[in-house]
Amino acid sequence: MLLSVENLEVKYGNIQPLHGISFHVNEGEIVTLIGANGAGKTTSLYSICRLAPPEAPRVIAGDIKFRGESILKTRPSDVVKKLKMALVPEGRHIFGNLTVMENLELATYSRERDADLKTEYQRIFDLFPRLHERRKQRSESLSGGEQQMLAVGRAMMTGCNFLLLDEPSMGLAPRLKYDLFRTLKKLNEEGMTILLVEQNAHLALHLAHRGYVLDTGKLAAAGSSKDLLGNPDVKKAYLGG
Amino acid sequence: MLATIIQNLINALQWGSFYALIALGYTLVYGVLTLINFAHGDIFMVGAYIAFFVATFFLTTAELPGWAALALTIPLTMILTSMVGVALERVAYRPLRRKGANRLYVVITALMCGLILENANLALLGASRKAFPPMITEHVYNIGGVIFTDLKIAVIVTTILAFFVLHKIVTKTRVGMAMRAISYDKFAVPLMGIPMDNIIVITFVLGSGMAGLAGIMFAMSYPILEPYMGALIGWKAFIAAVVGGIGDIRGAFLGGFLLGAVEILVVAFFPSTFRDLIAFTVLLVILAFRPTGLFGVAKTTKI
Repeated sequence: MLLSVENLEVKYGNIQPLHGISFHVNEGEIVTLIGANGAGKTTSLYSICRLAPPEAPRVIAGDIKFRGESILKTRPSDVVKKLKMALVPEGRHIFGNLTVMENLELATYSRERDADLKTEYQRIFDLFPRLHERRKQRSESLSGGEQQMLAVGRAMMTGCNFLLLDEPSMGLAPRLKYDLFRTLKKLNEEGMTILLVEQNAHLALHLAHRGYVLDTGKLAAAGSSKDLLGNPDVKKAYLGG
Repeated sequence: MLATIIQNLINALQWGSFYALIALGYTLVYGVLTLINFAHGDIFMVGAYIAFFVATFFLTTAELPGWAALALTIPLTMILTSMVGVALERVAYRPLRRKGANRLYVVITALMCGLILENANLALLGASRKAFPPMITEHVYNIGGVIFTDLKIAVIVTTILAFFVLHKIVTKTRVGMAMRAISYDKFAVPLMGIPMDNIIVITFVLGSGMAGLAGIMFAMSYPILEPYMGALIGWKAFIAAVVGGIGDIRGAFLGGFLLGAVEILVVAFFPSTFRDLIAFTVLLVILAFRPTGLFGVAKTTKI
């Protein structure tokens, strides 16, 4: 087991968005967390990434383990540097005042200087040719779809082998959505473990191996994507009948 | 006529150098933390005092020749002043940041830190002024009616060099890139594997180092030190940074020289008591027309 979240309860001030949820991700898997707004999906990702206050939810019970060891004391930058997990946050959060290339370069901050970065930049540009065309532009001038590509490319440049994505399809035109999900599938086939948070449950379950359904901070259902897609309750609540 | 213009230009550049160097520290910290570090003027004062003690030690205790003392005093003062800036960050600002304190409290804390530095100085060293020991003999030159000293030229050249080094760091290195990234989106920086606190510490090192450099050169040019020497010049440098467009180092640098030039020009034509009145009126007019400063583009880019 690569990552396991065990009976996690967290609080932001007096609000408790997670009431003891458990899930795990194995190496090489695509796992998805689905559920309505406020179900605790983003909170789960922020907890795993150990974001610093005031963004970080405070863990009051339970544990998060990486390869069996608790990571509750790990610094957020070490989640990237040592555990090789990278988050593509909701809303992209690219650095608009830097060029596309600078965004990608910055993501290599914690890596060895002698790493073979050239091939990796090339790999990003092969996956997202638009980024190559625009590599010298300030990234705030990119379209929404291009910004999402940059956010994914940037996360990959951290040298991660575990990608966490928060609503990557939000605001994308349908074609771009499918392109992005095809890219995620390809990355997974090349060995990338993926934890995907999505509101578009259909799309997510068709990509993922397994899924968890969250409902107001609790686990409502879990299982293989196939089972969840066939589950009448899940169908009714999250897949539009 | 030409001689008068050049004379005033040299004076303006020299006087503006101090504002420019101090303004850089304001703008760096603001860019990274959106914090107006009101203690920064007093860090400049501490820099001048550190230079005083370091120079005195090298000249009298170690009995080094003046040039050697100067060569050692400059880097040592910059390092020690940086440490004061970093200590302030550790003790005062970081705990507030950890707790997610409102910006108002952080600014008040900065003001208090400045007062503490001034009054600690007063308590430890007394109210008497200190005379800065001369390390080098100044030479006065007169070329075609323009009178200047080698020290004046050295101040201007050093300031410009320091700016270019800083500019290189901010635009070309990964640390500089991280500083600019923080100013745009603080949330995403740790997600890139960048330890935020390290970048903040480096920012304080750079900003306070510049203030330390300004401190030595100021003490050499006007060799009387007193605990409140940083207050007014700090406020003025802050205004220079805002007029230049706070958050942008080019703005701070040019804003500093602009303020220096305005002050020198006023004194050239009016009684010197008019200096601050007219200088600040001019700056007010500039801000009325460009509220984000000369280089400021509202909220899109900082540093």
